[in-house]
Amino acid sequence: MGEDIDKRDPAVRETIAGRFNRMIPHNQAIGLQVADVAGERIRTTLAYRAEFLGDPEAGLWHTAIGTTAADSTCGLAVFLAIPGLESVATIDLRMDYLRPAVAGRALEIEARCYHVTQCVAFAEATLHQGDRERPTARCTAAFMRTGRSVLA
Amino acid sequence: MSARGERVRAAVAAADYARLIAAIPYAGYLGIGVEHDGESRRYRMPYRDELIGNARKPALHGGTVAGFLELAMQLDVLIAEAQPRLPYAIDFAIDYWRSAGPHDCIADCRLIRSGRRLAQVQAECWQQSRDTPVAFARADFLLRAFDDDDTTPVPGD
Repeated sequence: MGEDIDKRDPAVRETIAGRFNRMIPHNQAIGLQVADVAGERIRTTLAYRAEFLGDPEAGLWHTAIGTTAADSTCGLAVFLAIPGLESVATIDLRMDYLRPAVAGRALEIEARCYHVTQCVAFAEATLHQGDRERPTARCTAAFMRTGRSVLA
Repeated sequence: MSARGERVRAAVAAADYARLIAAIPYAGYLGIGVEHDGESRRYRMPYRDELIGNARKPALHGGTVAGFLELAMQLDVLIAEAQPRLPYAIDFAIDYWRSAGPHDCIADCRLIRSGRRLAQVQAECWQQSRDTPVAFARADFLLRAFDDDDTTPVPGD
């Protein structure tokens, strides 16, 4: 199951992260981009679209689109943290919406897998719009390791 | 009341849910609809290929199920209120019970409490059978009056 893949190599991480992201139709539909996967803390970006708004008059993103981006980015962080090409499935996920994301600016999602067991992996994410000291949301999530390859 | 507040109030009063959803672009993006099942309301997210997360299974992206449930709960608070106030999500959590297949999603919401400033809601998502729900979510919403100040950022910024 691709056990020989060296996931510490930044070039390898970039290649498989890009492939992983392209395999997910909804990530493509919303335009989620892999920005930086060189280190343990990875980053994706979601460009602004008017259809992601929750409150057009106030010019605020809907909080729920951040949840989708956080789920995808945490999943990618876990995928890069476990050996081989094992697929994972979200067990549960929690979002704390700290401040609104404003229209016209992209959303950045930084995620880290902070613990892995034989069957489960735990991840956290911070969402912001360029200043990580002013996060728009925090996410924590748990993932089940399926034992199957993403290619199977 | 702001123009948007007036539109939302009118849409709720007339049970014009298409107009209500038009006021929330992301609800329109997910294609969410409001239906009546006897006395109770029910929410639907019609299947489309763009919502897939795992093409091999195939299974819906978990984020779309989460987004759908958060919007269903937000709409349920809006509709349940006699004088609509804009519910801003404070937090949200979801448990995935089963993989969601390439089918419509249906949500049943339960408004646990709606007070002066806070609404607390739960929702269950199912697809072809109500007996096999695919996910459970809960959320807390801050309630703010639709007034002239509603274009300012929400508290906590």
